[in-house]
Amino acid sequence: MGNKQTIFTPEQLDAYQDCTFFTRKEILRLFYRYRDLAPQLVPLDYSDKPDVMLPYELISSMPELKDNPFRQRIAEVFSEDGEGNMTLDDFLDMFSVLSEMAPRDLKAYYAFKIYDFNNDDYICKSDLEKTVNKLTRHELTPEEVSLVCEKVIEEADLDNDGKLSLEDFQHMIVRAPDFLSTFHIRI
Amino acid sequence: MFRQNPYDSSPYDSYTDHDGREQRQNYSVDIPMATMQPGLEVSQSAKRWGTPNANPYGNTHINHSFEYEPEFMYTPPSTLSTVDGPFARRSSDASEASIVQRRNRQRADPVFTTSSDFDRTDANAAAYNENKESQEEKIIRNLASMTTRERIKAIQKMPKTMKEKREIRNKVLMEKTRKSVSYSTEIHCCTQCMYKIALSYRRFRNGLSELFQSLQLWQKTLKIIGGKFGTSVLSYFVFLTWLLTFNIFSFLVNFSFITIPQFIAAGSNNLSFTGLELLTGAGYFQQTVLYYGFYTNSTITKIENSTSYDMQLAYIFTIGIYFVICFFSLVYSMAKSFRNNFVNPHTYSGNAGKLLCIWDFNITNEKAVRLKQKNLSTQIKEALSEGKSEDLNLSLKQRMVHIAIHLAAWIFSLGTTAVCCTCVYYLSINNLKLFMKGDGTELENQAATLVLPIVVSLLNLLTPFIFSLLELLEKFQYPRNQIYVTITRNVILKMSIIGILCYYWLNIVAISATECWETLVGQDIYRLVVVDFLFCLLGSFFGEFVRRIIGTKCLKNLGVPEFDIARNVLGLIYVQTLTWIGIFFSPLLPAIQMIFFFIIFYVKKVSLMMNCQPPRKVWRASQMTTLFIFLLFFPSFTGVLSVVAITIWRLNPSEKCGPFRGLSSIFDAVSRWIDVLTNYPRSAWVVWIYHNLIESVHFFFILTVIIIIITYLYWQIIEGRKIMVRLLHEQIINEGKDKMFLLEKLRALQTSTRDTPARKGASQQFSTTSSLYQPPGQLDQQRHLSMPNYLERPLEKNKSTFSATPPYTADFPERSGFLPGDPQRQHPSTKPGVSEALALAMRARQQAEREMEDEDEEDFRS
Repeated sequence: MGNKQTIFTPEQLDAYQDCTFFTRKEILRLFYRYRDLAPQLVPLDYSDKPDVMLPYELISSMPELKDNPFRQRIAEVFSEDGEGNMTLDDFLDMFSVLSEMAPRDLKAYYAFKIYDFNNDDYICKSDLEKTVNKLTRHELTPEEVSLVCEKVIEEADLDNDGKLSLEDFQHMIVRAPDFLSTFHIRI
Repeated sequence: MFRQNPYDSSPYDSYTDHDGREQRQNYSVDIPMATMQPGLEVSQSAKRWGTPNANPYGNTHINHSFEYEPEFMYTPPSTLSTVDGPFARRSSDASEASIVQRRNRQRADPVFTTSSDFDRTDANAAAYNENKESQEEKIIRNLASMTTRERIKAIQKMPKTMKEKREIRNKVLMEKTRKSVSYSTEIHCCTQCMYKIALSYRRFRNGLSELFQSLQLWQKTLKIIGGKFGTSVLSYFVFLTWLLTFNIFSFLVNFSFITIPQFIAAGSNNLSFTGLELLTGAGYFQQTVLYYGFYTNSTITKIENSTSYDMQLAYIFTIGIYFVICFFSLVYSMAKSFRNNFVNPHTYSGNAGKLLCIWDFNITNEKAVRLKQKNLSTQIKEALSEGKSEDLNLSLKQRMVHIAIHLAAWIFSLGTTAVCCTCVYYLSINNLKLFMKGDGTELENQAATLVLPIVVSLLNLLTPFIFSLLELLEKFQYPRNQIYVTITRNVILKMSIIGILCYYWLNIVAISATECWETLVGQDIYRLVVVDFLFCLLGSFFGEFVRRIIGTKCLKNLGVPEFDIARNVLGLIYVQTLTWIGIFFSPLLPAIQMIFFFIIFYVKKVSLMMNCQPPRKVWRASQMTTLFIFLLFFPSFTGVLSVVAITIWRLNPSEKCGPFRGLSSIFDAVSRWIDVLTNYPRSAWVVWIYHNLIESVHFFFILTVIIIIITYLYWQIIEGRKIMVRLLHEQIINEGKDKMFLLEKLRALQTSTRDTPARKGASQQFSTTSSLYQPPGQLDQQRHLSMPNYLERPLEKNKSTFSATPPYTADFPERSGFLPGDPQRQHPSTKPGVSEALALAMRARQQAEREMEDEDEEDFRS
């Protein structure tokens, strides 16, 4: 409890609480997780808002992300610089979205961004192919992959433009109730 | 270098260069300007460029669905956006390894946005900023008008970076304080005080939720299990902890309101303790607080002439209220689960779409990830081959054979269940005889009582295996059906065994001439629970450990066993049902169950970690959990309620033991209490409630009718909504078709206008549109090329999708020279919004159709 005052000011903690789905304790726990990645870089005093950014290599070495096939995309989507280098804010943001409390829409929005590899606001066939390959570790033949992708687009693409927009994606998510529990990383 | 870039990597290149990739990239460039989300969105991205962010495109779409108040504004494409083009193209070209590029861009953007060389850019940026600010102000005003809780929720839900969220939050807070200050300077002190109270209340709430969170058991273990086995296996353990909390709660309630008072009044126990009692629950335990029979029927008074504690009422009310709480919490979790997991189960077809939501982000173990990927690829392959073979229709004969097999399997399983039930019935009667006679030594007697629970547990353990053999015979087309059928059979088996036992307890034991039949029933249930626990341990030893040894050492092709979620969860439901029945006869049974669940959790966890592998098939965890909660509610809990109700209202309590000795029925205790209460005028309302609500038939009749009416109304509403959903779905599809049609038409139009400089028709057609959005003077310069763009934008607003065609990109060069004179004019934030866009689209469509008709007519004439 004593540490609380030295790491963040109460105002900072309040702000974090208002902006994420975490309680104080969880925020502190996440801070320590963040700090453990690079103790020499991250100061123990955040009250003066130091400008610290951990490189992607360190972020992706977290056990929660280490083996996730989408770790690079996750880090890129949530990092402010788009390269996977994360400040504490980004880090908290990421786990907030991936927490249990986050609503379906928010999760769907970020999941969409994760799967949108080329950042063009649509999941097109090339994005889908990348996703499928990541999901199956290149065990499918290219024909199978493209067949699957066509099927996905055919099923989920409501407005027939050959690619999935955020709305299509959200529509699909609504029909997959497990999404809420699977798009979730426990910390 | 950066300054060169925008101009030398000219859009002309991309225009002339028509290979597929370039086109795609161009379109990605085109989006942020062309999507007519802009008002807010472009400003968003503009804002982002100020901060180091390489993801402006990701954000252009942000507010599409989270937008507060979409505003229809036209922000002309500017150098700013054009400038970004080449960069974006590059960065997405090399999306995987684009670090260098992106860095470049980050540094580059501020240069453009602030550089004094680019006055135009500056002007535009200013416009954007203004735009952005007005948008933000709107959001802030909106947020400020909400209550604290709503506001926090809204901020939490914003898909923005922390920095932005914090900024918005601070501004909202400022706004709020400013408002409150300006409103009431004189009661400043009071508001300050209120604010402080609100703040401390919030902190208190947060502290409370933290406390609850830390009370949640096994967070870490659950994380490890989820990491190694995924959500499906995790759902079993979550269910287990959920049941455990149920039992902890019921233990606390029973212990504090029934057992502690009893301790005060308890006599001494002169029976000896041998150790076998732990298994049989008889002997020594008979004279303890464990069983109904030990409780006193007197009122307990510690100090003379002070308030007394009526044991009868305490017993009946504690258990009654516990069941009521259970009922509501079950209904609540069931409803929640249904709401979350059965959203529109009818409206979808096919599974391919699920591919994108299938990855389990819980999994963190490397091996598990590999396995999951492997399973997924086999599943996909299977699905693909299924898709091909689905067309093969079975012949009539084959179908008949299938039906016959299913029928035979059902008859067999129901027959087995019936045999099991008869077996249990005769054994239990035998058991009772054994009790009554009591010949042989004490030890023999006690051991003999164990026969029934052992047989029941054996049946419970072995019959499911027979049922799973049936599955192999039946060969279901869909694995989902197979799971449901197996679960149904197992539930029928378990529930009918419990039903037979209840019949035996209520109809045979209760009227037998035993000294204290309630205690006897309590002991029976105790034994059943204990033996089932032992079998569960043995089951995980033989079913998982020995099975793994066999699978890895002897028969290699068997492999490591999978964790059977359905069987395990059904086991839990069975035991929980027994515990609920037992609560009345043995109030401390939840405590025992609590300990058992605790041990089971660890045993299962260790066994899982050591022996099992994650299930290969897709286990739709959320839907299955919903089903299990429903099962826990429907046959299980409702059954228990009826058993307890019969016990309380119908049966004669034993005459020589228990809190209700000497009464004709247990409920008499309450009616007597009411009789006493009628003498006290102050508690007249209790009497009134009792007579007019609880005892009154009319009240329940009316209540039932009202509930039925409400249910019927809701049902009708649901039906209406279903139709609505279907219509909306059709509408979406139609809109998609509309859009494709329009785009095609546009393409045709554009090629024709480019070929012939006859744009009279075009300018007529679009003059209304353009004048709305375009600063005068810009028109002549731009007309012929910008025309299609103006049409697209409204379209975009409508449909949010857009497929680029190369000609559109030709606008850029001209646009880049575009300078708005008056930032206010260029986005005249006219309210139009969606309706305007729709109207435009309609007009365009009508025009197109008319033209088509004309063409047809001409064709016809010629």
